[in-house]
Amino acid sequence: MPVADAVAVGQELPSLQKDLSQRRIDVYSGVRPRSIHTDEAWAHAKGFRTTLAQGMMSTAYASELMTRLLGKSFLAGGTLSMAFIRPVYAGDRLTVHGLIKETRREGARTRVVVEVWCENQHGEKTAAGTASGLTP
Amino acid sequence: MTDFPKLTYEALTVGEEFVSDTHLVTPEDIEAYAFAVDDHQDLFTDPSAAGGQVAHPTLMANQALHLRHSKYIVHAGLHAKMEFNFIEPVRPGMRVRSRGRVIDKYEKRGRQYMVTEYVTEDERGTALVRGQFTQMLIPEGTRHAGR
Repeated sequence: MPVADAVAVGQELPSLQKDLSQRRIDVYSGVRPRSIHTDEAWAHAKGFRTTLAQGMMSTAYASELMTRLLGKSFLAGGTLSMAFIRPVYAGDRLTVHGLIKETRREGARTRVVVEVWCENQHGEKTAAGTASGLTP
Repeated sequence: MTDFPKLTYEALTVGEEFVSDTHLVTPEDIEAYAFAVDDHQDLFTDPSAAGGQVAHPTLMANQALHLRHSKYIVHAGLHAKMEFNFIEPVRPGMRVRSRGRVIDKYEKRGRQYMVTEYVTEDERGTALVRGQFTQMLIPEGTRHAGR
């Protein structure tokens, strides 16, 4: 069934789970001293209980929700806007959610607008925003 | 030769521009990114994928986010907001660079922020991603109240 016919406002996308290991953070951010992402002593000095994942990692997760829905179409014509609400620490587990808020015709295709957000293992929202993309 | 002053709210000027170095996107970059964000979908990892292999759309976001490092020593900061408009896929073999411009700076609840708009382009100047981001500055000698 074409994606445009398969999506409906109010539909929840399959959620993703992401384990934020220090090793993944290291690869994402690049290991260097005096970094709140990869230098635990520096993170403590800056007032954090341990190293933090880059907020940007959550945009990658939201992007994954969209490419799983729309495939490559998201890469040309897709949008994503997120605010980072609270720190994500090394060792946290995030659940990434998407909820279809709107569909609208855009030429011969349909733009799907999705509310996206991430929650940590305590159920606290860590990032939230909106993504959209065109159906193939 | 470039001098690198420390980034402070006072030193930052609305309208000032940044440009990154050019980066050759390699299959290894994509493989490493797939590990980092735990996203191994075929369209990113399979060189024989229909239409050719592409990179994760957010692959080059750090190139844009680090633009201020091309002019300043950045003591510490936090990322507050990020916006992307994905225009064309990033592909292995492209040489990409990002350009940015500071479009706002402001203080809110005692914290200092800067807003940068950016574009990431291929070697022909074709825009691949446009957007803007907001970063909080953590001044030297201070701590952020982590939660």
